[in-house]
Amino acid sequence: MIRFDGVRVAFGDHVALHGLDLEIAEGEFCTLLGPSGCGKTTALRALAGFVEPTSGSVHVAGRDVTRVPSEQRGVGMVFQSYALFPSMTVRDNIAFGLAVQRVAKAEQRERVDRAAEQVGLKPEQLGRGVSELSGGQQQRVAIARALVLEPSILLLDEPLSNLDAKLRVQLRGELQRLQREVGITTVYVTHDQEEALALSDRIAVLSEGTLEQLGAPREIYEQPTTAFVCDFVGEATRLTPAQRAALAPEELAGDLDAWVRPEHVALVESGGIEGIVREHAYRGAATLLELELAGSVLRVESASAAAAALSLGDSVQVVLDAERVHRFPVAA
Amino acid sequence: MSAAQSATEPRTPADAGMTPQQPVRRPRGATARMLRSPLGIGVVIGTLWFSATFLVMPNVTLLQATFAPDGELSLSAVERLLSSERALRSLGNSVALAATLAVTVNVVGIFIVLVTGWFKMRARRVLWLGYATTFIYGGIVLATGYAFIYGRYGFVTNAVANVWPEMDRDWFSGFMAVVLVMTFATTTNHMLFLSSALAKIDHQSIEAARLMGASNWTILRRIVLPTLRPMIFAVTVLVFLTGLGALTAPLVLGGQDFQTVAPMILSFSRTATSRDIAALLAILLGLATIVLLAILNRVERGGTYFAVAKVASPLEPQAFRTRWGSIVMHVLAWALWAVYVFPVLCAVLFSFADARAVQGGSIGLDDLTIEHWATVLTQPDALSPFLVSVAYSAIASVVVVLGLVLVSRALTTWRGRLSSVIEYVLHIPWILPTILIALGLVMTFDRPQWLVGGQVLQGTIVILGIAYVIVKIPFTLRLLKAAFAAVPDEFEDAARILGAGQLTTIRRVVIPIIAPTMAAVTALNFTSLVDDYDAAVFLYHPLAEPLGIAIRRATEGDANVQAMSITFVYTVLLMLVQGFVLWLVYGRGLRRRRG
Repeated sequence: MIRFDGVRVAFGDHVALHGLDLEIAEGEFCTLLGPSGCGKTTALRALAGFVEPTSGSVHVAGRDVTRVPSEQRGVGMVFQSYALFPSMTVRDNIAFGLAVQRVAKAEQRERVDRAAEQVGLKPEQLGRGVSELSGGQQQRVAIARALVLEPSILLLDEPLSNLDAKLRVQLRGELQRLQREVGITTVYVTHDQEEALALSDRIAVLSEGTLEQLGAPREIYEQPTTAFVCDFVGEATRLTPAQRAALAPEELAGDLDAWVRPEHVALVESGGIEGIVREHAYRGAATLLELELAGSVLRVESASAAAAALSLGDSVQVVLDAERVHRFPVAA
Repeated sequence: MSAAQSATEPRTPADAGMTPQQPVRRPRGATARMLRSPLGIGVVIGTLWFSATFLVMPNVTLLQATFAPDGELSLSAVERLLSSERALRSLGNSVALAATLAVTVNVVGIFIVLVTGWFKMRARRVLWLGYATTFIYGGIVLATGYAFIYGRYGFVTNAVANVWPEMDRDWFSGFMAVVLVMTFATTTNHMLFLSSALAKIDHQSIEAARLMGASNWTILRRIVLPTLRPMIFAVTVLVFLTGLGALTAPLVLGGQDFQTVAPMILSFSRTATSRDIAALLAILLGLATIVLLAILNRVERGGTYFAVAKVASPLEPQAFRTRWGSIVMHVLAWALWAVYVFPVLCAVLFSFADARAVQGGSIGLDDLTIEHWATVLTQPDALSPFLVSVAYSAIASVVVVLGLVLVSRALTTWRGRLSSVIEYVLHIPWILPTILIALGLVMTFDRPQWLVGGQVLQGTIVILGIAYVIVKIPFTLRLLKAAFAAVPDEFEDAARILGAGQLTTIRRVVIPIIAPTMAAVTALNFTSLVDDYDAAVFLYHPLAEPLGIAIRRATEGDANVQAMSITFVYTVLLMLVQGFVLWLVYGRGLRRRRG
């Protein structure tokens, strides 16, 4: 459906994207995930036609669209700022694209009503000015405006970043439901790994303009192929040689980069390696501990009541599931 | 184009609300606390005296002279006005001028804003600089410049007459000339306010529209212009007001057939028997101003479109989609640029050219001379008007800023009923045309007044300085108050907790923070007063003639050639001074931000 073919984007001396190769299937929800400045928004804007690649090409449904104007690419987009037109009502905002295409008034009305209903906007909200709506409602208007033109691809540029935490989770669920109902191919940009894991069929993790890994959320979390992905998605501790020698001297011997997730280190009554509690963060369902072990920090997550009851300075014993340690070749 | 509404400091639509400030929570007992503090008492007594003497009494006198000349209510001024054909025609002319300008200035102003801020034009900065010449070239100087170039004996008229002797030498006179000159002179508001409103449009909303298939034209028509509509309305009101109260352009270029209200007020005020008509006309002008500003205020409260975006992205210039579109816009933009830049270049050139050559309509290399510059810079007589204006503007600017620092401090510290009243009273000059303020002063202080110790101020050099201070009060007060309000309370609390007293805190902590604003306001006040004509013509002292008066005299009748050349030197000097001050205030800041 969508194919990035060696897409390179440079702004003067700065290279934002180093030859991105990526294919996204029809109906798929694909997330571009990475920290600020990793090139994810640039990739999305190249797909929308707002930036022209320095080299490489972008294909949509088998057609090279690299030089095709944005409006002819059949994409709808929800912007980070929502980009709602402040001088228009909600209805006029949603109907804008239809009006530009000179769709008959009656049909405009019907399609706007349908799109509004799809995103959960009430009919009485359609007559209001956009500045009278809350952030969550504005976001719904932005999505309705993108969907009303029935694009083949929906682009979402950090659409939840302006909302408070609870609303973010709620709208995340709605977004997922909507995408399933409409079945539209969706490209989603975010730096929030939790959002990416919860929403996506597949995630493309980017760093410094390069694709680090592409895979299903579980694959990305459980089988990261690079230290960057392991560190960026979820939490992980990089084991020092001393920690490796203490925790699993045989399995983790040799010259390698070893990372372990907090939930793969277990607290035991006895027979483990000793660590001292230095930080203690109770998170309700589980407790995250930072232990001083073999001279360095090791993060441990435990759902047990005993972990929740620990205090700073307490001594605990831990064992490590060496099978679950992620090993990467040491970077040159 | 009066001193109160000059290029650098028009009535800003952004703060055009007549209510001096946003509604604030008034702590109880603020007035009582204000009256317990020595600073508070000083400010209250000082402002009450100043307001009663110079803001309220002149207007009361004006009303009295009009409606109760002999102590009894009389409508004789109204009857005389209605029977004066000249006066009535001037009223009609003013309305016609204002209405025409509301259209022409918007057409030119919006065009300028689009080619400097919306379209991807070649050499956009150069274009901007050309249109921005109105920032340093306005008022009487500009009107005179146009007269010397296109007027009866102007350079262009003479040049054309050399080839085509039968031409009408008065082609650039009357209604059309005034409209043209004022159109090109008053686009400053558009460049200041409409441009910044345009720049605030979220670029993502433009991209969103484009993605939905909207053309450049559709985006402009359906998104950009509707978003700018409240600001366009605000600027239109300001232009309308400028047209209604126009003095210098009609005076210099209107000729016999086209005189408006302001020149008529000036002419009626010169004879004692017709002063009541002058006062009535001034009151009508003031009333029209108040009504229009009230409408503006109301519309502003209801109609501003606040950007919805929390993370708006900056507007980027739009590329032309067709070659023809690009060519047409570039040709129009540069032609307009030439209209703006030509008088400025002429002023510079003519200041170095032999006056007879300028009059002859043809200048050769041999005609270039530094004689006029030498005259102005070495002969006390010639330099004096410039120095007088500089001195008046500098002193008035400093006085108004220093005086209002204390007032603004008091108003922000004790926000109570009394401070609100003081603030409203100090805004009186904001809603009155300069010409009305000046006339009020003339008619009040031409006799002894006990509020100023029984002195007659009219005919002294002080009265023009007082007028300058008065017209600068609202602008200065607003900016200083905003500066004080922007100083976080924590700074003062921290100073207090470290043992600093109130005065030490103000002197060592608060003043250094607001010093840049004080300097900027002083500079802007200075540039807008230095070429004043509107107040000076009513109030100047014959032995201390300011620049505006000297320049105007050079165009009266068939003034001598030398006077014209000297005027061009003044013009260039003024542009240098105003350009330098604007650069100090805005330019350096811009560079720092860019760096």
